[in-house]
Amino acid sequence: MYLSIEAFIQEAEKTGKRLSDLMIEQEMVQSQMSYEEIWQLMELNLETMEAAVKAATEGEGVFSPTGLTGGDAIKLKKYREGGKTLSGDRMLQGVQSALGTNEVNAAMGVICATPTAGASGTLPGVLFSIKDSLDLSREEMIRFLFTAGLFGLVVANNAMIAGAVGGCQAEVGSASAMAAAAAVEVAGGTPRQSADAFGTALGNLLGLVCDPVAGLVEIPCVKRNAIGAGNALIAADMALAGIENKIPADEVVEAMRQIGVSMPRELRETGIGGLAGSETGKRMKKEIFGE
Amino acid sequence: MAEEVSRIGKKETKVINYKSCFDVIGPIMIGPSSSHTAGAIMIGRVANLLFQGKPKRAIVKYYESFAQTHKGHGTDYAIASGILGFSAADERVPHALKIAKEEGIAIEFIEIPGDSPVYHANTACITLQDDEHEVHITGISIGGGTIEIKYIEIEGFAIEPQGQLPMLLVLTGNSHVKSYMEDFLIGHHIKITTITRYQNEENRYLFVYDLDSPLSDELRAEIVAMGDPSRLIVL
Repeated sequence: MYLSIEAFIQEAEKTGKRLSDLMIEQEMVQSQMSYEEIWQLMELNLETMEAAVKAATEGEGVFSPTGLTGGDAIKLKKYREGGKTLSGDRMLQGVQSALGTNEVNAAMGVICATPTAGASGTLPGVLFSIKDSLDLSREEMIRFLFTAGLFGLVVANNAMIAGAVGGCQAEVGSASAMAAAAAVEVAGGTPRQSADAFGTALGNLLGLVCDPVAGLVEIPCVKRNAIGAGNALIAADMALAGIENKIPADEVVEAMRQIGVSMPRELRETGIGGLAGSETGKRMKKEIFGE
Repeated sequence: MAEEVSRIGKKETKVINYKSCFDVIGPIMIGPSSSHTAGAIMIGRVANLLFQGKPKRAIVKYYESFAQTHKGHGTDYAIASGILGFSAADERVPHALKIAKEEGIAIEFIEIPGDSPVYHANTACITLQDDEHEVHITGISIGGGTIEIKYIEIEGFAIEPQGQLPMLLVLTGNSHVKSYMEDFLIGHHIKITTITRYQNEENRYLFVYDLDSPLSDELRAEIVAMGDPSRLIVL
């Protein structure tokens, strides 16, 4: 099993294999499942992601039971249709899918956790944005998910992916970094560039606290997936341009872990500090759950 | 002191909790939180698997982040879903509290102030009871729907397993079962991290196999079918 990013980058460089191939090979050894079985399971994940985005961007969109979130993916879709955006249409397409997925999550719909439910919009956001800009085949989209999985496993086993343990840097930060690395592979970049994109994306989100208002996975979670997707696209583009990340990816993961363990409990998914502790955040909690 | 040593000991050994790419790309689930919902379902499911049947009462103690945010995160219906044996993507998950009530299972949720007994932000202790027997477990939800089981009390055995799943429990009066089961697992290419043997005063044994490979549904069913289900439990 690959326990560091450097180990599998070196393996990929030595063998000429793609990172997605290394992930599938490892999965076959670990699970004793066949290539086809593993591939089909990942395709099912992809279909779940597509269905969530579709549900959030049709009709009036989806709304959470509390009414705190929902309908924003539709707003962005309409805004994009106006044709004048500041960030560019592809970027906002990614943001739209990210928002939409997390709106479905907050509305108790079915999603695929990547790596967590709170961060489930970031990866599909990036994937569905580059699907159109790079005209990705079905196979490339599934490969994207395997590559993201390989990086995600290293983070999960070496640091953390739960906001309650390491803050939102562990959730949206990890998701963003996984997506950036995978985007580089399907865009034709080298394994080393994937690691650079990963390190850049995670480094940019270090220190991100987990402060869900009323303890709900709504505010700020839904919008944080937008920054996760945008950050991943930017990090991937920088890596593809040849911009290296001077701090090795594994050291960025370790830095994230260190920050996570030293973060005060109030800022780790307790719903006490940060935006949850703002006047409005506290009022919302009271309105939803009473005293 | 013993606790302190074991905690330090743990830090030095690399713990591989996430063994499959589907642990980080997946599970397919109903939200809103993989650690507070999908993970909580898994903790409830472990209690359900150990109890083997429908309990009359469930007592759920929450610590730290679970205690603070279980209402907002849907942890209550998730634990109930697990006790009822639902999977993470089951459409009944959000309605599990109502379903449990209809099934005659009384569930009590208690927020415990202070630190988790096993030093983790997402800790739940579950007791399941009927008039004849009861089981206790302590589970932690470590993110992305993955959990560890830190404490199990069943049939007079109280154990502190390593935590990682999958884990196979064999309750038996025959000590030879240990090597038989070991050969069976190895024969099916399942890697075993550790085997722990417990023995009580009535010469009953509990063997715990910590497995390094995920088990297919078929193999799980095959193992459970090998004996009385209350004696062979795959978590």
